[in-house]
Parts: sequence; C-alpha cells; structure tokens
Amino acid sequence: MLSGAILVAAAFVAVPAFAADDTYAKAAQAMAAKDYGTAVTLLKEAVEAEPDSLRNASELRQAVIKQTLAAHPKTEGAVADFDNEIAFFDKLVAAHPMSSNAYLNFGFAYVDKIPAAGAITQVILANTALTQFSKSIDLKPTWIALYTRGNSYLYWPKVFLRASLGVADLERAYGMQKAEGKKSYHVRVYISLGDGYWKTDQMDKATAMWKEGLAAFPNSQPLKDRLSKQGDDLATYINNVLDPNRRVDTDLRELWSTGQ
Amino acid sequence: MSKVRKSAIVAALVLPVGVWAFAEVEAKIRFDDVSVKSGMQVQHHTRRFNGPNADVLRMFTSGGASAAVYDYDGDGLDDIFVTDSDNGKPNHLFHNNGNMTFTDVAVQAGVAKGNDPNTIVADALWFDYDNDGKEDLLVARFGTPILYHNEGGGKFKDVSATSGLNKFGNTIAVIAFDYDNDGFLDIMLGNYFKPENLLELKDPHVLPNDLDNAVNGGGVTLWHNTGKGSFVDVTDKAGFGKHTGWTLDLGHGDLNNDGFQDVYLACDYGTDRIFFNNGDGTFAEKTEKSIGFDTRKGMNVDIADYDNDGWLDIYVTNITDEYMKECNMLWHNNHDGTFTDVSKETNTCETLWGWAAKFGDFDNDGWQDLFVVNGLRSGSKENYIPVLVNLITTPGVDFTDVRLWPNIGNMTWSGYQKKKMFRNLHGETFKEISAEAGVDNDKDGRGIAMGDFDNDGKLDIFQTNADQLPILYHGATQGGGNWVQFALTGTKSNRDAIGARITVIAGGLTQIQEINGGNGYAGQSMRRAHFGIGKAAKIDSVEIHWPSGAKEKVTNVAMNKLNKITEGKGLQR
Repeated sequence: MLSGAILVAAAFVAVPAFAADDTYAKAAQAMAAKDYGTAVTLLKEAVEAEPDSLRNASELRQAVIKQTLAAHPKTEGAVADFDNEIAFFDKLVAAHPMSSNAYLNFGFAYVDKIPAAGAITQVILANTALTQFSKSIDLKPTWIALYTRGNSYLYWPKVFLRASLGVADLERAYGMQKAEGKKSYHVRVYISLGDGYWKTDQMDKATAMWKEGLAAFPNSQPLKDRLSKQGDDLATYINNVLDPNRRVDTDLRELWSTGQ
Repeated sequence: MSKVRKSAIVAALVLPVGVWAFAEVEAKIRFDDVSVKSGMQVQHHTRRFNGPNADVLRMFTSGGASAAVYDYDGDGLDDIFVTDSDNGKPNHLFHNNGNMTFTDVAVQAGVAKGNDPNTIVADALWFDYDNDGKEDLLVARFGTPILYHNEGGGKFKDVSATSGLNKFGNTIAVIAFDYDNDGFLDIMLGNYFKPENLLELKDPHVLPNDLDNAVNGGGVTLWHNTGKGSFVDVTDKAGFGKHTGWTLDLGHGDLNNDGFQDVYLACDYGTDRIFFNNGDGTFAEKTEKSIGFDTRKGMNVDIADYDNDGWLDIYVTNITDEYMKECNMLWHNNHDGTFTDVSKETNTCETLWGWAAKFGDFDNDGWQDLFVVNGLRSGSKENYIPVLVNLITTPGVDFTDVRLWPNIGNMTWSGYQKKKMFRNLHGETFKEISAEAGVDNDKDGRGIAMGDFDNDGKLDIFQTNADQLPILYHGATQGGGNWVQFALTGTKSNRDAIGARITVIAGGLTQIQEINGGNGYAGQSMRRAHFGIGKAAKIDSVEIHWPSGAKEKVTNVAMNKLNKITEGKGLQR
C-alpha cells in the first residue's frame, strides 16, 4: 500500500478542493514568470494553510532555490536565504508537531542549504536533516520518508559507518514498494539500495538490486551506468553521485505528477 | 604512440611554434632521499601542553616544523635553519658542507633558542633588514618574535629588545617584502589564534567560533621598517586591521603588474583574503571581487606564473579528504584583478590534508612544476574523525571552548598521507608523478624549503614534518633542460631584492619570476631565482624590474650557471 502522504499529494492535483490550491495556482504562475519572490510568499501561505502538504512545501523549497540561485548566479545560493527557509519550517513544525510531511520538508530545507555551506557546516546540516527525517518517520514511516533518510545516510563517508543504516531504511522502502503497484519513482530505491549494498561492500547484492531495477525500469540510465562499470570506475561514478558539494535534487514533483 | 611524439603533438596543438625547444624536454623527474647522509636527522616536536586540554591544544598548534634557506655565511652554498617547537628544544642551523651534508652550528651561531615555557617557535625567515649585506634571521613564535642580527663570522646577536617587534601574537607565518618600495624590507606576521597566551590559558574560549567562517583568529600584523634597525606596527594604517581570520600562511607578489607588492592571506576555518597595494602605503581588500569568499581551510600560499602568460598565479592548499571535499585552489590570474580557480581543470585539486606547496621547475623545461606536502597526524589505527563528528553535530555546541573538544590521544587524523608532486604540462594541466619521482612519502608534512644545495642546477627539496624527522630530497632528474640562476643585490632597492621581477626570454618562451620573502607555508626557499630553459641554445633576453622602479636589461648571461646581478651595475663576475 502506498503511503498516505503520496496519496494525499496526488489528490491535490486531481481535486483542487482546498483554499490553498488557489494560492498554489497563483504561485505557479509567479514561478512561470520567474517572479520567485512572489512565488515564495504565496507558497509560504499555502504551506501554512496545509502544513502536511508535500506538494506545497516542496514547491516552496524549489522556489527558494531558484530565487537564491537567480540572485547569486555564480554561487550555490546565499546562506541567508536558506536560513530564512529553515526558520520558516522550524516555526511550521513547532506549530504542527504531528505533521510528518512538515518534518520531512524541514529536513529537506537543511539538505537544500548544504551546497551553499562550508565543508564542516555541511556535516552539521546533513546531521540535522537526518534528525528531522527521523521525526517524520517516527510520526509516519512513509515510503518517501524512508527512502529520503536511507538515501541521506549514503552521502556520509564510510568512516562514519552510516551506510548500513541507510540500507536498513531503503530495504523497508523496498518492501513497501514491492507491496504496491509500480510507480515511476520506485526506481530510486533500486538505485539507492544498490548503492547502499555497494557502500557496505555487498557487491553481489548491489548488482542483483540494480539488475532487478533495470528489469522493472529498462530505460533507467543510472541503473545502466552502474551495471556497466566495475571497480574504480564504479567507485568514481558513485562517489561523484554522492558528492555533498553537488546540489541534491529535492524536488518531489515526481510523486504527484508521474505517479504511474 | 611514443610518449615523446604524443607530447609533441599536444604541444603543437596548444603552443606557438617557438616553444618547440621546450616541448622536447622529456626528462623523468626524480629525487633521491639523502636525509640520512645529510646529517639533518633531527626530529621536530610539537609543543606539549599541561592540564586537561593538553591534547587538544597540542593538536591545534601542530604546525611549527619550518625551514628557511639562505647562504648566511656567503660561502656560495645555501644553508638551512630548521625550527623545533617543544619547550626547551633547540632550533637548528645547518651549515652546508658542500657535499650534500650539513653540520648543525645553531648553538655556536647563537640562534638555537626560542622555545621556552611561555613561547612556541613556529616559523623562520632570513632577510637583511638593515641592508648591511649580511642576512639576518627572524624566528616567529606564539609569543613575540626573535630578531637575530647577523654579526658576521657565523655569529648572530639577539636584537629583539630594540627591534620594536614587541607585540604578542600567536604567529604561524612570516614574510618580508618592501610594501612601500622605500628600500627597506618590511615584515608581515600571520597570526593563527587571537593574541592570548595558550600556555597560560585564562579563557578556554580560544578555538574557532565557526569551522567554516571563523572570525575570531589572530589576523595579521604589518611592520614597517624604519630604516634605523627597528619596526613599527602599521597594521591598521595599511588597511589590515579588520582582518580577524585564522591566518595560516601569507604570500606576496605583484599580482596586477603595477610595480607594487600585493598580499594573499590563506586562512584556516574560513575565507582567504586578497589585498592589493594602493602604492601609497595602504592596501585595498578586494576579496569579494577578486576571488570571492570561501569557507575552506586555507593552508598555504605560493605564487608563480604557472602558464607563462606574464601574470602571477596563486596556489592554495585546502583539505580534501574522505570526509571533507574542499579542493585546493589554483587561482589563474585573469589580468584584470580577478582570478579563476582552475585546480580541477589542471588536476591540482586533491592533495588530501594539504600543507605547504611550492612551485619549482624540477626538469628545467621552462614550466613550473608543483610539490605538495600533506597529512595531519599519523597515530594509531583508531580514527579521530568519528569521535570529532559527535562534537561537531551536537546542537548549539560552542566550538570555541577548548574543554569540549574530545582528546585525541594517539588517534590518527588524516595521517599516513602520500605526498603529491605534479609535472606541469605546458601550463595547460598537471600530471601527478609522486611515486615515480620518489617523493610519495607518508610523513606528516608541514613545510617545504627548496634550494640547490650542491649548485648542480637541479632543485633539491627539504621537507619538514611534525613530530617526525625531516626529509632532504636531492634532485636527480636525468636529461632535464638547461637552466640559469640569478642572485640579485639591490642598491636603491632593498638589498635582498625581494620583489624584483626577472623576465627571461629563451627558446621562444617568456618566463617571469619574482624574488620573494618567504612564500609558502612553514618554509622559505632559496633566494636565487632558478629558471629552466629547456633545450634552448641561448638566452635571448633577461630583464630585471627592481622594486625601486628601475628596469635593467642584463646581457652576457651564462647558461647553466649562477649569475650575480647588482642593481644598476649589471652582471657581476
């Protein structure tokens, strides 16, 4: 069974039954016009109106990213912009302590800041993001939350011994999606769980997972890439994917826009 | 395809025809470890502290293994001054015996002291502050510096008390240059911690207030040479007073070709800084426009024209390890006051926990190669990083409080790292050659001091290591190119000619070098300028631009020789 969060998110697209949807629609127009400031303001309103909406919060974070990158094109954005976003989510979860998706997006807000931060601050941000992801899972262990936390653990260098925690989360997400109908985003777990097995020196299981994924998603280039490489080439490839200095795509739109 | 032919094709694609002579040099860069034979088997000791935070303070002060090269007695052979840092441990003055062996004469010369219960020796610099033709010695310390006047006859006199250099600082780096071109060398001290005596710690909040953007360090101090044997603090007046970063290294050079020396500050725990000389005794900080603000751990500054375009470039080491991916910075000079980091494009990005890095033409092909030392602490199999991360990720933790940092004991932190040497491939990129060059040792490197200790025209390398023995590498490259060396003496300019720019044209290639006063972390390399000129049969032109502003063409320069040039008088035979 799919997580309730995803079902709710998908419902926003199909049935615009909430007042926030009108605000969301205006925000979408502002985004299309590259008026990111207006979009951010409207999306904050939409999030406050529906704090458990994955869609509204995800779009807010993407708007903030676009806004700061547009204002600071030679950088990964201004730290202050991300700090404002984090402060917003901090207040949101304080006001809505039972909203698992608010915590999830709160964690993503820290992830969004990572490329703009220094190397040691990145560690602090990544760890804080994990804390928020864990709160989300404690409230509601959804596929997206388990995938997110599991994948996040994989970004930690081996020396911190966190990859096995990532594998555990991803295996739970894998179990969930096996019980569900096939969704396009399920390919992510095949990729990440394989990466987790690779990172925990379980090469056979990694290859098997990537192969199983490719059987289910034969057009997946990331899976083809992994299966075509070995040894140092594979290590270089995965380490490049998991480079904390590269911005992680935290856009959750796939969850509701291409559900099948 | 043969290596030579492939290289020639690459050269033809990227270089003008006139450079062919240089492309022909295909020597295999090689160094021999002659440490044991050299007689310089003296171990460095980091300072041991007392009290419950002893380990943490020792870790944070684990620089201090430095070396400074100069022919202090004028016998034609470069000597080496080597520092130690623990209480009561002597510094060493290694007199060059001429056969790649050295004898420690520090005690006889009167320069062994400096480490006492309240001060820690951290760096050293040869410079002739009074232009008397005898090189003096400054020993930088966590404390106040010691200035030794060279009395001649191999003897030095401590003149610190009358030098004016009486301001306490936790100094980790020192350079000398004539910032106002008045003919006397000024000095800049790079200070790591804020000016609080770590050996009598009254306030435990002395560590960085942010591990990526710290602003509670020691900054720098600039000391103007009065010309009367003393110095005055002009830090604020010159425009450096607002910098409060954790300065770890200093570099100077004329970065915008205006005839005045500019300054680059490599700072730990936060952004480096660049200051351009206004030409009126003041500097303008141009960090944001010139290089942008960074959050890295700047460890070293070396300055050279790696691509022979007539503009000085800058190399800065940072930390790029399993757990921290900063990347070094090779700042390519854009000729307009801005720089672009090309370290990734040139393959000079990853050198692990970097410390000193020095450019030098190791195969005399006319292109500046690069040597980088690295490694923080090689101890037991237990890794300090997982222990440290618990502190780092504790919400709201006060990083400044030394009492909160976990003791490191004998744990390893970025230890056993292989040193990196890169061959410059015609200014386009660099190729790592560490192992084949014989320099991939895994000591806890700190400083690099280069010289030509046997005057054979091949650069030698002295590597200092924290809490370990140093290493002396003898240049053993076979089949390298021709070379030329210059020893300059200023008359109107400062006598050391620091800041003088030499332009050599040979074999269709134009090279520039500036005489520097101690660029590179924990090391001062030889004062002579060393140019490789490949297979060029003759030197077409040599021009000196002196700090006084005078330009002087020098004729009859001898290849494969040291050429001594005095300002206004040309070549001295």
